[in-house]
Amino acid sequence: MITHKKECVAMLLAGGQGTRLGVLTRDVAKPAVPFGGKYRIIDFTLSNCINSGIDTIGVLTQYQPFELNNYIGNGQPWDLDRINGGVFVLPPYVRGKTGEWYKGTANAIYQNIKFVDNYNPDYVLVLSGDHIYKMDYDKMLDAHKAENADCTIAVIDVPLEEASRFGIMKTEDGGNRITEFFEKPKNPVSTKASMGIYIFNWKMLREYLIADEEDKNSDNDFGKNIIPRMLGDGKRMYAYGFSGYWKDVGTIHSLWQANMDLLDSNSGINLADGKWKIYARNNAFPPHHIGESACVKKSIISEGGDINGDVSESVIFQNVTVKKGAVVEHSVIMPGVVIEEGAKVHHAIIAQNTIIGRDSVIGGELTSEDDITVIGANACIPDGTEIEKGVMLEGR
Amino acid sequence: MNAMGIIFASDREVKLNELTIHRTTASLPFGGRYRLIDFALSNFVNSGITRIGIIAKNNYNSLMDHIRMGRDWDLNRKNSGIMVFPPFVRATSQEVYKGKIEALYTNLSYIKEAKEDYVFIVNSNIAANIDFEAAVEKMEEKQADLLVFTARMTYANSRRAIISTDENDRITDVLFSDAFNGEEHLVGINAYVIRRDLLCFLIETAYARSLVDWEKDVLQAQYKNMHMLSYEIKEHVAMIDDIKSYFKASMDLLDKNVREELFHKNGNVLTKVKDSSPTTYGENAVIKNSLIADGCVIDGVVENSILFRGVKVGKGAHISNSIVMEHADIGEGAKLSYVITDKKVTVSPNCSLSGFATYPIVIVKGKTV
Repeated sequence: MITHKKECVAMLLAGGQGTRLGVLTRDVAKPAVPFGGKYRIIDFTLSNCINSGIDTIGVLTQYQPFELNNYIGNGQPWDLDRINGGVFVLPPYVRGKTGEWYKGTANAIYQNIKFVDNYNPDYVLVLSGDHIYKMDYDKMLDAHKAENADCTIAVIDVPLEEASRFGIMKTEDGGNRITEFFEKPKNPVSTKASMGIYIFNWKMLREYLIADEEDKNSDNDFGKNIIPRMLGDGKRMYAYGFSGYWKDVGTIHSLWQANMDLLDSNSGINLADGKWKIYARNNAFPPHHIGESACVKKSIISEGGDINGDVSESVIFQNVTVKKGAVVEHSVIMPGVVIEEGAKVHHAIIAQNTIIGRDSVIGGELTSEDDITVIGANACIPDGTEIEKGVMLEGR
Repeated sequence: MNAMGIIFASDREVKLNELTIHRTTASLPFGGRYRLIDFALSNFVNSGITRIGIIAKNNYNSLMDHIRMGRDWDLNRKNSGIMVFPPFVRATSQEVYKGKIEALYTNLSYIKEAKEDYVFIVNSNIAANIDFEAAVEKMEEKQADLLVFTARMTYANSRRAIISTDENDRITDVLFSDAFNGEEHLVGINAYVIRRDLLCFLIETAYARSLVDWEKDVLQAQYKNMHMLSYEIKEHVAMIDDIKSYFKASMDLLDKNVREELFHKNGNVLTKVKDSSPTTYGENAVIKNSLIADGCVIDGVVENSILFRGVKVGKGAHISNSIVMEHADIGEGAKLSYVITDKKVTVSPNCSLSGFATYPIVIVKGKTV
């Protein structure tokens, strides 16, 4: 295969099972979960790539890949349908007699060394497909080159009490060189958390991946194995500070919260900013209609909808019907949902094509993070049903 | 399907004044996010017709920008697909074509080289969701030479063909007159399907006789000599040929049944995807009976109106019975009533504009009020 050299190739890890999202990831991989009225979670990372000038992306998938593969397709919505480069979905495959699932994040890249080698890149950008943020990777690459680094890790300041959920970096005084790295430390020494975004010099990473694969005791994970080993070998590892909006949407509450953040103009994420557009695969639907009896406040509403009830502080996806007398508050209503007359939905996530029957009451006030109510896709909630807050209901 | 399509991007019969200074009729914005040509294109695609020629005449930049390679209609094909024919000056006449006959003659090689047996010829000033496949079936069943698409309308003007038929739908009269305004009539909607070999013959002979007008010199002159049938569209048809009909056709979209017929009946209407973010409503938004596209930021009052993509409505602004096209900026406290603002119009804060249902005010593209 003859290909042109690329300076930087992105490898997007989209193979996480997303078990904490429960019914929302029963049939789709986490990166394909709908977000923000007309997007999927992965749109943010893909759009960041193309907006940063990176046009060669491998998407590593293995759980429920069908919908994600279908969604990415030829990459056209992100302008990634290229003759040289573009987006590639890379599932694990059988080699000779062996063949195996991706054992860890590092192993996923290891299994695709040939793919990366095709483009003979100087750098590889490793990303994850389950974060909501807008970031210019090109600036990070500039920093990587300026520091003459072997590896650069994007970091964000997190509250100290949350730091133990992340990989935490300690850097030299007055500089960005990483001196210590702790994966999910019990007693964090710093608040610089890894965002799971790495730039490596490909030649070096390639050697480490091969060595890591030979180590039978390794978990084949970037955070647990590759990064500590490089640090131990005295490689030039740098932190790249990012200060914009960034959210890991791995849990129901964080997914709900990230949707709610879109309604707050001070949250730091602005989808309407034309300078850094987020692209998505979309069909053309007619504009939404807001009827005589509707009352819409502080909400985001997408195309094709038919709104005749009260909607406040909610994110409404395409083709949602909210009938007269229905009330939707602080909720995320995914594509094709129908909320029948008189139904009330509070602090809930309703997945695709579910029908909420007349006068049903879904969810309630939020007193803890566990109080978000979730209804899976294609469910049919009978008229007059009451579903308590915090319940997670399987779809069909 | 065994048919190809020809779309006329603009036709001299259409009088849209301010709205077509910067564009062809085909690229006239309609229904919050569409261009008029989307309906013709989608009807073709949804009926399985993939060889489509678009004949442009003037101001076709906006059209080329909209269509590009036809990808949004799945028409970026290796075989067939979309072709845009810009006008070109013939060496003999030294001017661009005068009517449909000359235009078709100029592009006759494209039609002759096609392999489909039938040709649809449509104007782009029609918003309707039509199953073209059923029309071809009828044509084959009745062994017709030509099918004229018609609809019942009460509004007549001198540019609309009023059609009379016998009980077998055979056309018995064609006339052009505004004398019948107000009565319900069968009106030709400038859409036809004809056998390809017959079309080539008609165009060649008409051109040889220096005839110009397809409707008058062929339809009106030849209906007695051909097996010409009316094919009545019973669903909603909007024929847009002046500001008044544009305004009415737009306001009709606020009716759910009309939207259902127009946008979904025989397949969804496709258009260029622009990746706008969803619309954001603020704390002070009050919306009643309005159609609102993506990308708007609304904190004012909007009623009985259509807002296109990316419109900003400031706090305290009041928009009623109006059509606000893409990227308008309606300032705080501004008032619009029976107004059509073209793309990128700015209405300054507290400015008040008011027209009438029969005579809406049109604000030209890019202007600031």
